[in-house]
Amino acid sequence: MRRRQLMALVRKDLRLELRTRETIVAMALFAIVVLAILQFGFGTRDDDLTRFVGGLMWVTLAFTAVLGVGRSYVAEREQRVLDGLLVSPVPRTVMMSAKAIAIFLYMTLVEVLVIPLVGIFFVKGPYWESIGWIAIAALLANLCIALSGTLFSGLALFTRARDLILPVLFLPALVPVVIAAAGATHAVAGGPHDMSEWRGYCLFLLAYAILFALVSVATYDAVFDD
Amino acid sequence: MSGGYQYVVAAYAVIWFLLLAYVVVLGARTARIGRQVEAISRMLDRRERTGGDEDGA
Amino acid sequence: MTPSSTTDSTTRIPGERAAVVWGIIATVLVVTSTIGVFLVAPEDADQGVIQRIFYFHVAIALASLVAFAVACVAGILYLRTRNDRWDDVGEASIRIGLLFSVLVVLTGSIWAKASWGTWWVWSDPRLVTYLIVVLIYAAYFVLRSSAEDDRRMRYSAIYAIAGFASVPLSFYSVRVAESFVHPVVFTTSGANMPDSMLIWFVVSLAAMLALFIALLEVDLVGRRSERALRRLALRLENA
Repeated sequence: MRRRQLMALVRKDLRLELRTRETIVAMALFAIVVLAILQFGFGTRDDDLTRFVGGLMWVTLAFTAVLGVGRSYVAEREQRVLDGLLVSPVPRTVMMSAKAIAIFLYMTLVEVLVIPLVGIFFVKGPYWESIGWIAIAALLANLCIALSGTLFSGLALFTRARDLILPVLFLPALVPVVIAAAGATHAVAGGPHDMSEWRGYCLFLLAYAILFALVSVATYDAVFDD
Repeated sequence: MSGGYQYVVAAYAVIWFLLLAYVVVLGARTARIGRQVEAISRMLDRRERTGGDEDGA
Repeated sequence: MTPSSTTDSTTRIPGERAAVVWGIIATVLVVTSTIGVFLVAPEDADQGVIQRIFYFHVAIALASLVAFAVACVAGILYLRTRNDRWDDVGEASIRIGLLFSVLVVLTGSIWAKASWGTWWVWSDPRLVTYLIVVLIYAAYFVLRSSAEDDRRMRYSAIYAIAGFASVPLSFYSVRVAESFVHPVVFTTSGANMPDSMLIWFVVSLAAMLALFIALLEVDLVGRRSERALRRLALRLENA
């Protein structure tokens, strides 16, 4: 029963998004704009920013994540779907899982665009060989973003000034993810190739995801206790 | 070695100062509570004077 | 640490006695440790006088962790029992913890200036982590100010729990990053500290913990009084 509910909710979310394509397009555009600004800010000074590839990529993706997570409930609010859902007997953890999966997919889609672009803009050395490792680290980071993002956007949902609250709550919690994801990317693309470093950061991302999954499952019911 | 001594003093001064400031803020709140108590007891006095039988507390 | 719950007929607010006792203990310990750190503790061979900053710097850092842990537990207990008292404990603990965290950053920065000549270094994991911690818990108050009543308390409880999970994650991410960038990491007190120094670390830690408890008790007494007063004023208005 649960799994069907979950799939139905996820399909609903995705269908809403793909029909309007609002969020994905906005996120992708935003990411490109941020990358361009970074290119103008740093690239005019130095042609080869390989050293900073990790940071550049994950600063961009962190802000894009905030944008995407902030949007993830807007469609529902605007369509009053949320009230209908809350009345239904769907357990909150199923709702949360659906949201998290949606965010994960959004981030992954945006990264399909961003990761190559970063290579083109900023890296003058070997990059494309390591793209698999970069992608794995990105997927782990997306997991972290999805899990913590669902929780914090749930908290921000019913507060005043929702759009301002979310970055303030979410970004400090994202700092470890940025550190680790940028570090992992740097380990394989930013200089001498170091797999043990990459592994260390990826393990950390896994730990972050597990911890936030636990916290979310334990507290998510209380978010909607109205 | 007194090189850098002023930094140690500065660090502890900052700690003491901020902690003291916090205590002062707490004291201000206590004063506010005291004033509220005053106001309420005055309210009660006025109540007793201006007419007896209303069920107060 | 839990205050007495009996309503004393001699009009003593519950917890008042605990607050006074802890206040005295804290004052004594803080004064003792300050004197000890400045006058009694031996000078460090490597860093000289500057090392003395660490006694309080580390003690305050550990005390703030205790404060955030208390808030996390209070959050869990609030969600379980929906008793407003736990929200009080949580908010007060985080306020004190945030104050302590700011102090950690300030003292760390002063140390950096003394050691390296700049007001900030990325090579001290504790300093970097506490900057993140300050941001995490400052957001707590932003969250509180944008919700009311029951929702405010619920969300604060959840955030206190999530925030406390973020703290070790922040610490370890910085630590892992540091270990790759600067292989020789720790600039602070090492594992082999002479007992004459260790004892003053312990005294400082005890002082900061006592201070946390004292400030917490005072805060709780104040809140309880305010709430009782509000109830009283309400009854008078409605009577």
